[in-house]
Amino acid sequence: MTMDWTLLFQLLVSGLIVGALYGVVAMCFVLVYKASQVVNFAQGEFMLIGAWACWWLLLKFQLPFFAAFLTTLAFMMAFGLILQVVVLKPLIGEPVISVIMVTIGLSIFFQALMKWLFGVSAQPFPPIFAQPSMNVLGLQVKTVYAMSTLISIGIMISFAWFFKFSRMGLAMRATAFNQQVAQSLGISVRQVFALSWGISAMVSALAGVVVGVVNGVSPALSFFGIKVFPAVILGGLDSIVGAVVGGLVIGVLENLAHYADSQLLRWGNLYEIAPFYVLILILMIRPYGLFGTRDIERV
Amino acid sequence: MASTIALRPCGDFKTSYGSDQIVFPTRLSLAFCIFGIVALCFAPLVLGKYGLSLLVQIGYLGIAALGLNILVGFTGQISIGHAVFFGFGAFASAYFSNKLNVPVFFAIPLAGLATTAVGLVFGIPAARLKGLYLAIATLAAQFILQDFFARAGWFTGGVAGTAAKSFSIFGHDVAGDYQYFYVVLVYVVLMYLAATNLMRTRDGRSLVAVRDHYLSAEMMGINLMKYRTMSFGLAAFYAGIGGALYAHYLGFVSVEGFDILFSIQFLAMIIIGGLGSIMGTLMGTTFMVLLPEVMGGLAKMLSGSAIDRMLSLSEGIVFLREMTIGAVIVLFLVFEPDGLAHRWRQIRAYWKLYPFSH
Amino acid sequence: MYVKRMRAGGVLAVGALLSLATTVVVAQGISIGHLADFSGPTADVGGPYGQGVADAIAYINKQGGVAGRKLEHETVDYSYQVPRAISTYKNWSGRVVAIQGWGTADTEALVGFVTKDKIPYFSASYAATLTDPAGGSKADKATPYNFFYGPSYSDAARGLVQWAADDWKRKGGQGKPKYVHMGANHPYPNSPKAAAEEYARELGFEVLPPIQFALTPGDYTAQCLTLRQSGAQYAYLGNTAGSNISILKACQTVGVQVQFLGNVWGMDENAMKAAGSAANNVVYPVRTSAIWTGKAPGMALMREISKMSDPSGTAYRASHYLAAVCATLYMKEAMEWAAANGGVTGENIRKGMYARQNWTPKGTEGVCKPSTWTAQDHRSLLQLDLYRAEVKDAPDAPIAELVAKGTIQMTRIATIDLPRKKEWLGW
Repeated sequence: MTMDWTLLFQLLVSGLIVGALYGVVAMCFVLVYKASQVVNFAQGEFMLIGAWACWWLLLKFQLPFFAAFLTTLAFMMAFGLILQVVVLKPLIGEPVISVIMVTIGLSIFFQALMKWLFGVSAQPFPPIFAQPSMNVLGLQVKTVYAMSTLISIGIMISFAWFFKFSRMGLAMRATAFNQQVAQSLGISVRQVFALSWGISAMVSALAGVVVGVVNGVSPALSFFGIKVFPAVILGGLDSIVGAVVGGLVIGVLENLAHYADSQLLRWGNLYEIAPFYVLILILMIRPYGLFGTRDIERV
Repeated sequence: MASTIALRPCGDFKTSYGSDQIVFPTRLSLAFCIFGIVALCFAPLVLGKYGLSLLVQIGYLGIAALGLNILVGFTGQISIGHAVFFGFGAFASAYFSNKLNVPVFFAIPLAGLATTAVGLVFGIPAARLKGLYLAIATLAAQFILQDFFARAGWFTGGVAGTAAKSFSIFGHDVAGDYQYFYVVLVYVVLMYLAATNLMRTRDGRSLVAVRDHYLSAEMMGINLMKYRTMSFGLAAFYAGIGGALYAHYLGFVSVEGFDILFSIQFLAMIIIGGLGSIMGTLMGTTFMVLLPEVMGGLAKMLSGSAIDRMLSLSEGIVFLREMTIGAVIVLFLVFEPDGLAHRWRQIRAYWKLYPFSH
Repeated sequence: MYVKRMRAGGVLAVGALLSLATTVVVAQGISIGHLADFSGPTADVGGPYGQGVADAIAYINKQGGVAGRKLEHETVDYSYQVPRAISTYKNWSGRVVAIQGWGTADTEALVGFVTKDKIPYFSASYAATLTDPAGGSKADKATPYNFFYGPSYSDAARGLVQWAADDWKRKGGQGKPKYVHMGANHPYPNSPKAAAEEYARELGFEVLPPIQFALTPGDYTAQCLTLRQSGAQYAYLGNTAGSNISILKACQTVGVQVQFLGNVWGMDENAMKAAGSAANNVVYPVRTSAIWTGKAPGMALMREISKMSDPSGTAYRASHYLAAVCATLYMKEAMEWAAANGGVTGENIRKGMYARQNWTPKGTEGVCKPSTWTAQDHRSLLQLDLYRAEVKDAPDAPIAELVAKGTIQMTRIATIDLPRKKEWLGW
């Protein structure tokens, strides 16, 4: 059994790059969960809406890329805020199953809405960078992926700063820890909830635009939202660092699984299904993940 | 005497456990139920092929949804992977009747038992998880089992799917929807009666106790693991029976019909109908089956008109259907979280107590 | 007593009215069914094809229908969900005399039903397992009522493999060239896999293990890296256009030097526009003798039919549209034969398909290729045209404009005629 080291290495690099994107989306998921105790099954659809919005702005109004991008971010922030206020606020206090079902319902609604408005075929983004690909550690990567890795790292750093040093970030952490105490200290829990959804939607849209630029925008983009689950479970549902690590690990794992599959096992689609096997494994062994807090009672 | 067949006493005057656990509290409700079943027996004479197919769909989906309601509504678990149990029952029944030459009459209950086994296998580890983690675990199980269906050619025919034989009793071939309707009706009545009975036995009460306050239940001596696992097994049994009926109705089973959207539709059925209500399950299933048909009918009515052109309805009808499913789930949860069963009880109370408010 | 008689009379009256209302009015039209995918995973190619069928039927009705009777059709968008296709079929059986269908998964599912109910099924699935009407070949089942216009997937793949072998010799390649099949684990891409790999081995290729990628668009960098590492020279893309675009783009970025071979549904003008320069140099088969910009006597009729849904006449129609019109017109001429020979029933339509040899529908000369169906062999077409796509990256514009400017160029590079081998029937 000869190991193909070059291929393996290239797959690792590719996995890290994609994993950074997973990490970004996972961070948004964890942000919402930490702040408002809501599991957002519609994370993938936030990505999708952001991607389509940016594409539409670019195509319809011929704006330069950064203008369209910033407009999309602003739109998604407003979108997340409104969504929280209109749909999710009435559900505060309802059992977990209800909240999960509402986000699932929203994901179905938005996915169908996007298909209706923009069709089912993959649409390419207009070319954005002058040089479409560049050389990273011996692997040709699309420039936009390299950009996205830089942006992802930037976001992770800014999230870390936000939660540690800024007033609103501290308010979010306090609310996540104990809502009533936070309220008694004068923190507006309403604002915290709404803002967490807004930020989550905005950052997901960023990831969505990146994926859209690389692969074209299509309804299948929202499947990213499902891949988020193995990442956040691995990292721990309430840990931002865990989300990042989880995303990277899942990205690398997918590619490693593909390597094992194509060279050794020849099953066919291990690439798609391996994260879910890992998910089950983690739930059995260590459900609170690598960095999560241990408060899961087990029977 | 005649005035008391429809009224309930104002207070609890039962003098025996038997009378306390009675399924139909008034003679009129029993009469309505029997009348309903008899009326359904005449349905094939009145309804066309289309209406009959809708009723059969409500039948087998209702059985599977009832299983999910036992799991989610009565035991408080979560499962986003119900469609694969449904699919497993369908494939198992086709497998038994094709490869092992078991008569279809027996293949259907056997498929239910096979699915129970699978459900127990998933239930044992799942019983140790709670809430959100259980939901995610069942989500993963959905994808893994779907992948298994696509790969296990010996069992499911792989991605090409497998044909299922038609139902036959003692050599008499039950051909056509007309006669299959009665088979489904019998199963629906049996399974629903079984579930109603389950809820008034000791085991049923234990399930409810596990849902309401598991710590107290454990302190009272109810084995949480046992009842959670049993609840998974029961849900799988009902799903397997539903799936087997589906397989022999359609005559062909293919893996792509059992995707995550199908699982979510089951959840929608029980949430819209009312968690923890047996009659609600049937109401929710009817709602979810009729909703796409009503939308299709509306679109057809509006086709060619200005609204059609503005919204491009005819091309987008499939998307509008999905959008409506999503929107209905959200709206029901926001405005009517206890479901149609609760609304029905409110309506009935309103009429009973008119002009007093409830 | 009086009340009871009144009530009985009322019930009788209602019953009589109901039975009158449900008396079937004898239909003057010919009822056919149309299954299409406008919103599911194959919608990118299902849309143009479905539009072609609908327009052709509208045109037939405009010209007076078949033997004076209009075609009454019901178009159902089943989103490539097999269960929905089957329940639609159940609604139709007993009413329709023929069905214009679509995908591989549901066509194969419905084979048993249409054979039992004797309803000719004209699919857009060209799976080789549908070509054996008598049974007994490798197809494992008899499909006397399944018809399609076009070379089967297996035959088209064999044609591409043959061209690849010639191309290798032409380029002066040394040693054994490597061939790899790429596609999803799904009946549609799997259909020609075995046949193509076997023929490749016969012609001297080294056949590498297949590479899997899903039918949906996505990120396929890993698959492209594996492809590059494997050193294959010829790669067959088995999926539909949507996901082929993704893998072409990924492989272009990674820098894979491979001759990509498309399939009938895997590369068309829309895909070329969406993939841009990533689709450059892809070789793919075309079922008709001309594409929309071609010059042939039959194109006049095609433009007429296109006006049924596009009165301005400016829409660009992909190759699938033309194939769909051909398929519908074949059905129409078989129905005309049936009407003159015993009435338009499923069985007679089937006999009508066998009535002519090397047959093109009237008015489509130079577009639809001459096809022959016999009671032993439903491989109607064994000739395919191979085109090479030449695409440059360009700003967004309608396809007609891109083709006119030369940004998208499709050049015919070969016409392959395959032998009608008995051992190739059915797979």
